[in-house]
Amino acid sequence: MGLTIDINTHPYLFSDVCDTEEKERFAIEITGLYHSGVGSMASQFARLDCAKIDRCVLSPLDLTTTRGRWLNTNEEVKTLEEKYPDRFIGFASVDPRREDAAEVLEDAFTRLGLKGLYIFPALQDFNPKEAYMKPLFEVCLKYDRPIISDCGCSPYPGLLTTYAHPMLWEETALRYPKLRICLTRFGWPWNREVCMLMLRYRNIYTDTSIIYLDDSRQMYHQMFEVDMGPKWIDRGFRHQVMFGSGDPGLEQIRQVNAIRALNYRESTLENILGKNALEFMGFEKEMRWVND
Amino acid sequence: MTSVQTFTIQTTEYNQFILITEKVEELVRKSGIKNGVVFVITNHTTTGITVNEALECLEDDFKNFLARLAPDDGDYNHARFLMSYGAMANNAPGHLKSLLCGNHCIFNVIEGELKRRFAQEIYFCEFDGPQERGITVTVMGD
Repeated sequence: MGLTIDINTHPYLFSDVCDTEEKERFAIEITGLYHSGVGSMASQFARLDCAKIDRCVLSPLDLTTTRGRWLNTNEEVKTLEEKYPDRFIGFASVDPRREDAAEVLEDAFTRLGLKGLYIFPALQDFNPKEAYMKPLFEVCLKYDRPIISDCGCSPYPGLLTTYAHPMLWEETALRYPKLRICLTRFGWPWNREVCMLMLRYRNIYTDTSIIYLDDSRQMYHQMFEVDMGPKWIDRGFRHQVMFGSGDPGLEQIRQVNAIRALNYRESTLENILGKNALEFMGFEKEMRWVND
Repeated sequence: MTSVQTFTIQTTEYNQFILITEKVEELVRKSGIKNGVVFVITNHTTTGITVNEALECLEDDFKNFLARLAPDDGDYNHARFLMSYGAMANNAPGHLKSLLCGNHCIFNVIEGELKRRFAQEIYFCEFDGPQERGITVTVMGD
């Protein structure tokens, strides 16, 4: 089994960057994690070791136009990536509605060397179909960087789910076939729409950070084996689904163990747990579309 | 007189039995209390404090016994999103194992020392790890 990569995590409550009470209050206000508190880096790494997760993609969040500040900055993620290179892969964030969005993103890719763009339309309060997204797509294409867009139902409070609908991305998927886009959370409850998008557009990916109603094992069974055909992922989407926990908020250990227990081919599980993430991030170009 | 002291443990496994006897004995001595009782209390609801013999074979039996009673793949009501936490609640087995182990133990303190028989070791029990956990040691006496 190769590397296990969690494509969707955030350092919002890491002790290295959430180092003041005021930052902690803001992180809790945004995430709604009212009883979690700041966790030491030792605690984060113990959990990753227990879950047998080798690397996490870490993303900050730029809330400049809605809240006047960041929930972790691109620089903080770069610092974590440099300090713990065997643990973290850093993504950038940018608020698409800020006037200098494209410059901020280009700086994150060139000066900081971050590996992709993370956005959260529902929380950043923007429609991903708007024209101001075009310069960001072009920066991503110029530097061959993928986009992770939070999609579907989020556990975070105080946001409208309207902008989290996966169909808002269809035109972009069509117009920019080389732009790799991960619509997180399998888009739930619009998981069939995500299936349709993945079927039609090979540049659309998803992850498993689904907010669940039962336990993780039962939720994945309901989604992947009842709501969807039980072989759809193993047969059709085995190169487009990535393991993502959405940490903090969901449950990294139980989620990854539930994924490992799915009744798929071993090679499909390897893809979901790590290979697809490497390919999505452009680290393994030769793997692309080997099932075409 | 009452002495209240706390310490933390970074657990490293999902289910884990960690010996804390020496740490508790150290805190009893530090309390300065000569004769009384000591309470060892976990600060959490998916952990336990228990007293037993520290043998590898027994530790495996503890884990297997608790896993049979509260299996990870059981069907629990506590399997849902908790709005008040902003997080998932899928740790019913941890809560149930905590229910079985209890949240504390008590020993006598005599002449400034925790009084126990040779086989009596104090375990901190992790049932939803790894996490940073807090334990309170309260010594009451003269």
